[in-house]
Amino acid sequence: MGIKIQNKEAQFIIRLADTEVILGQRLTEMCSKGPFLEEDIAISNLALDLFGRGEELLKIVSNIEGNTYSADDYAYRRNEREYFNLNLSEQPNNDFAWVMAKQFLHDVYVDLVFTQLLKSSNPELAGLSEKVLKEIQYSLNHSRDWMMRLGIGTDESNSRLQVAVNHLWKYIQEMFLFDDIDNEFLENTELIKTEWFSTVEKLLSEANISIPETKHYDIRNYRKGFHSEHLGILLATMQYIPRSYPDAKW
Amino acid sequence: MTDIQNKIEHLWELMDQVPDPEIPVISLVELGVVREIHFKDEKVTVVITPTYTGCPAKKLFVDLIEEKLTANNFTNFEIITKIHPVWTTDWMSEETKAKLLKDGISPPTIGDKEIVCPQCKSTNTKEISQFGSVACQSLYSCNDCKEPFNYFKCLR
Repeated sequence: MGIKIQNKEAQFIIRLADTEVILGQRLTEMCSKGPFLEEDIAISNLALDLFGRGEELLKIVSNIEGNTYSADDYAYRRNEREYFNLNLSEQPNNDFAWVMAKQFLHDVYVDLVFTQLLKSSNPELAGLSEKVLKEIQYSLNHSRDWMMRLGIGTDESNSRLQVAVNHLWKYIQEMFLFDDIDNEFLENTELIKTEWFSTVEKLLSEANISIPETKHYDIRNYRKGFHSEHLGILLATMQYIPRSYPDAKW
Repeated sequence: MTDIQNKIEHLWELMDQVPDPEIPVISLVELGVVREIHFKDEKVTVVITPTYTGCPAKKLFVDLIEEKLTANNFTNFEIITKIHPVWTTDWMSEETKAKLLKDGISPPTIGDKEIVCPQCKSTNTKEISQFGSVACQSLYSCNDCKEPFNYFKCLR
């Protein structure tokens, strides 16, 4: 469709929004496939939180951009190259260890990001940050708990979690390639990086998971709309109905 | 002046008749979702604050309020959703909490401590899952009478 976002602050906020929406869509794939009923409900609840957060952020984007497009337009009418989510968030679920490892690595990141945004000069964003931080705590408690359970559970659960963490680690470097826009709207990006590594590495060692070696990849990163091959398929599923029946109401 | 005050009072009464779609024993006013009501130049403004950003009832809140206002011959109105100040279970009165307990939902306690079983009123209870059938509740069970129940999570 070619939706262009002009304002710098909107460009910054849509990165957060897209990451939440895409991870939410990934989580919905788990609906009815959880390992047991309570966990199935928990995952569905977390997906709802991610969508809710994404929607509220997209509304702010929409306001800044003069309400030319609605939150739904942004979610349903952009293609891969117009999406600005973390590559981590679009990675496939593969098995339960992947789902929880992805969630945990994400939760620690957004917790640090929204904490800095409490002081945003945009009152709407600052207010929303206060709200979402409470919800992120639930998610973080949940994913942290599962990292421990899988890590110190059985040899099988430990080795599966290790495989997931090893793979997902490839998408970590990208999170911290902060650009001018990030540095304009976040108070201290360097602090996000150091705190993220200290929190994650501490938990991984408690969970008997080895910290993967950090290799340096040549990354074409999400801030410019570059993605892995997984995003297109995810968007095709997510956008099918609104694209087939534009302006459908229910 | 008093005319407007009466009108606003009447509007609060109407909003207090709109049940929460998930927990119909309490109203949107008791839940703390309806925050402000204004009446100016013949126009009604209702300000609501959702419990959770991803609450699936968010849209339904607006529909139910619209329905109530229309049924009572208000045609000129606007419903505004505000996230901040953020919704908290502190906005529920003791009376509302008692209604929840009577309906089988354990009401929020500060810091999620001493959670009461709605069946036998024991506080010897345990969490089964942090997430329940709706975003605002967790699953618990009673160690004494073995009753499984929903607990309305404390949010502040």
